[in-house]
Amino acid sequence: MSGFFAIKQGLDLSLEGKPSGEIVDVSKTDRIILHPSEFTRAKPRLEVAPGDKVKKGTVLYYDKRNPAFKYRSPVAGTIKDIVLGARRSLQEIHIDVSGRAVEKLPSFSADALLSADRTELLNLLSGTGLLSLLTERPFSRPATVNTTPKSIFVNGMANAPFRPDPNIVLQGREVEFAAGLAALKRLTLGPVHLCLDADETATNSALTAAKGVEISYFSGPHPSGNTSTHIHHLDPIFPGDVVWAINACDLVQIGELLTTGQVPSTKVIMAAGPGLSPEARRYYKVAIGQPISSFLGEAFVPDTEARIVDGDVFCGTPVTVDSGVRTHTRGLTVLSEDRERHLLGWMMPGYDKFSTFRTYMSSWFGAGRDWNMGTSRNGSHRSMVLTGIYDKYVPLDIMVDSLSRACIGHDTDDAIRHGILGTDPEDFALCSVVCPSKTDFCEIIRKGLAEIEAEGL
Amino acid sequence: MKFLLHQLEALEPHFKPGGKFEKLYPIFEAGDTFLFSPADTTKGSTHVRDAIDLKRVMIMVVVALIPCTLFGIWNAGHQYLYVNQIESVLPPFLDAMFHGSLIVLPIIFVSYAVGGLWEVLFCVIRKHEINEGFLVTGLLFPLTLPPTIPLWQVAVGISFGVVIGKEIFGGTGFNVLNPALTARAFLFFAYPVQISGDVWTKLVDGGSPLAGWSSATPLSVASASLPGGADTVLADLNSAGYTFMSMFNGMEGGSIGETAVIPILIGLVILLITGIASWRIMIAGVIGLVVTGLLMNGVGLMDDGFKAFCHLPFWYHFVMGSFLFGIVFMATDPVSAAATNEGKWIYGFLIGFLTVIIRVANPAYAEGVMLSILFMNVMAPLIDWFVVERHLKRRNAKIGEFSYAS
Repeated sequence: MSGFFAIKQGLDLSLEGKPSGEIVDVSKTDRIILHPSEFTRAKPRLEVAPGDKVKKGTVLYYDKRNPAFKYRSPVAGTIKDIVLGARRSLQEIHIDVSGRAVEKLPSFSADALLSADRTELLNLLSGTGLLSLLTERPFSRPATVNTTPKSIFVNGMANAPFRPDPNIVLQGREVEFAAGLAALKRLTLGPVHLCLDADETATNSALTAAKGVEISYFSGPHPSGNTSTHIHHLDPIFPGDVVWAINACDLVQIGELLTTGQVPSTKVIMAAGPGLSPEARRYYKVAIGQPISSFLGEAFVPDTEARIVDGDVFCGTPVTVDSGVRTHTRGLTVLSEDRERHLLGWMMPGYDKFSTFRTYMSSWFGAGRDWNMGTSRNGSHRSMVLTGIYDKYVPLDIMVDSLSRACIGHDTDDAIRHGILGTDPEDFALCSVVCPSKTDFCEIIRKGLAEIEAEGL
Repeated sequence: MKFLLHQLEALEPHFKPGGKFEKLYPIFEAGDTFLFSPADTTKGSTHVRDAIDLKRVMIMVVVALIPCTLFGIWNAGHQYLYVNQIESVLPPFLDAMFHGSLIVLPIIFVSYAVGGLWEVLFCVIRKHEINEGFLVTGLLFPLTLPPTIPLWQVAVGISFGVVIGKEIFGGTGFNVLNPALTARAFLFFAYPVQISGDVWTKLVDGGSPLAGWSSATPLSVASASLPGGADTVLADLNSAGYTFMSMFNGMEGGSIGETAVIPILIGLVILLITGIASWRIMIAGVIGLVVTGLLMNGVGLMDDGFKAFCHLPFWYHFVMGSFLFGIVFMATDPVSAAATNEGKWIYGFLIGFLTVIIRVANPAYAEGVMLSILFMNVMAPLIDWFVVERHLKRRNAKIGEFSYAS
């Protein structure tokens, strides 16, 4: 069965700095940096100490709250350094790469996967940290071995600036992707949905010809590629429901683990954005933990302060150039920090400003162009004044004004009635972008979700 | 420009916590960001932002008000010259602008100065940033006043509007009522002699050949019209000197900004193409006015004893009084209007409806726009509540009675 959904609400923001489809292998590195803090909900307990020799696959740490979660070294080598932060929280693990020693884990043939035991699969995924690539809705928290989702959503779309295109990332990884899909089938009693872009012309056969899953096509502007949009249209979350979601690019890592019996040590990520020099905007095959500086060090636009975002411009975390590529990293977006002050900015005609309100000249004559946007907030934060402008950016049948007010007022019951459980903060990024009062809707929704979660639902 | 920027940067530490003028930071911030757009960058997970900010939104509304203001200045001067029978020494247009400026600019100045003072005072005490919303209020309010208004009343009115209409609720974004209309309503009820729509008097100099001059507004003429048909009320208007075209052109007595239709339409176009004001409210208001105008015609047909006013063709309601000005600039104030898009339709429609009802059926007030907008401001949260509940009922129909908490 396949479905087709045309999304009307939203906005396609076309930014300068699109990546080319080329993949370069830069994965040779002699030092990797791992960031246990990327697993925000885990309380890591170390199993190794500086100087220890580790194999590829040796357990580095586990989660005190959820002992089934273990993180294994993606390389063989020596623990060089362990960096602790405030209150001795584990921040970074530095490993010098050497040797090829491997700790073997169970592997599955394609046939074996079709009848693999669910518990065995879950323990294997959780015992390598890769289960956290699956997000559990509501609350967008890492999936755990304790829940059974009613369905699993695989997101094969990339229409926000800049998300890595699975069609490119999956090149040459078709076998692993298929293995990943087969494993997902075993993790849920319900269907596995694969959501693809209907507007895309050249699609990877690994996606379009995927077997055993329900393929649906979505067209229209961003956020048609957001998982919440897919869930809302295909299998909405009702109270008590649990749904898992994963990005198609991430599924390759799970597939690699299952087919080879080894923890994946490399992955393909994208680097793009107006803050990168044009030739560096492309895809990179990197080692997990490889310092960003080792492959992007020279690639920034000169004389600007760069903000490196792990994620896309709508939803991402700033990272430093010295940090390593994280397990969850799919793409890096580089923007220029824009602190320039413009004389009488409130009345200038503005020939190069992106705006959804037609108060700038460029909103009249800028159709179809790529905007060069920096990180300027373009104004001061104010109380919410304009109303009714946000709903046209959220295709989830949600009244954004009312939902955000419920969250601000800590009215969790009301927020749930408004449908917050079917959302993720990223769904409200466009509202934050267009808001003239510079309201941060993502943060409001994030806090609302956290409050509901803390109440134990 | 670099020099100016450096000067501002040098001044800033004095206004920061620990500085000499720490308490006056809101004033510094307002001036600083007025001259140069702020240097703030995005925080949180969304990294780019639209180029619009609230300053530009509000300035656009002020820009949309400029045609009305200019026409109001010219018209005040024109009326002044006409009433006092002064022979122009300058070309008539310049002469009218000159005398009009002498009449209108002090009113605008007092409104901005006194209202601004309150605004700054509250911001300094509350440690808020000064909000741009006042730029609009400070200009809207004078435009709703007759040019003959005493300046002290302007000061009292804007004080009431800013303090009671807005600041006691928490400032821009939190007000229930439109501050400019609150100010005008206060004057309307506190000092009815100078402002009432019934009669507006005197633009008369000491040395004028006339001892005094007064003229009834079209609405009060129509309201006073005896029972009869549509001909009666139109004849009454004609004999008072009002035709559809004369009221459309607006070269007559009335509040400063609202007499002429064309400047308001220019403002309307600016607000609509920039996407700042809600077209839903405007269209709904127009529909409400037309429907109710026709309804009143129907009432007139059924009841001969009723005022001839009810026979007035609905298109006259657009040019009489300040309906257009109100629906374009006042009703669309996003803070006091309904917040939901469906609610905006209801809100706008009821403003048009109430305007005609008050005009035609109410014996006390000739003009109904101000009161109907204020009334609907109060009702807006209720409308929103119904709209939101209806949405939730439909949305959650599949879930049934909400039971997640149990």
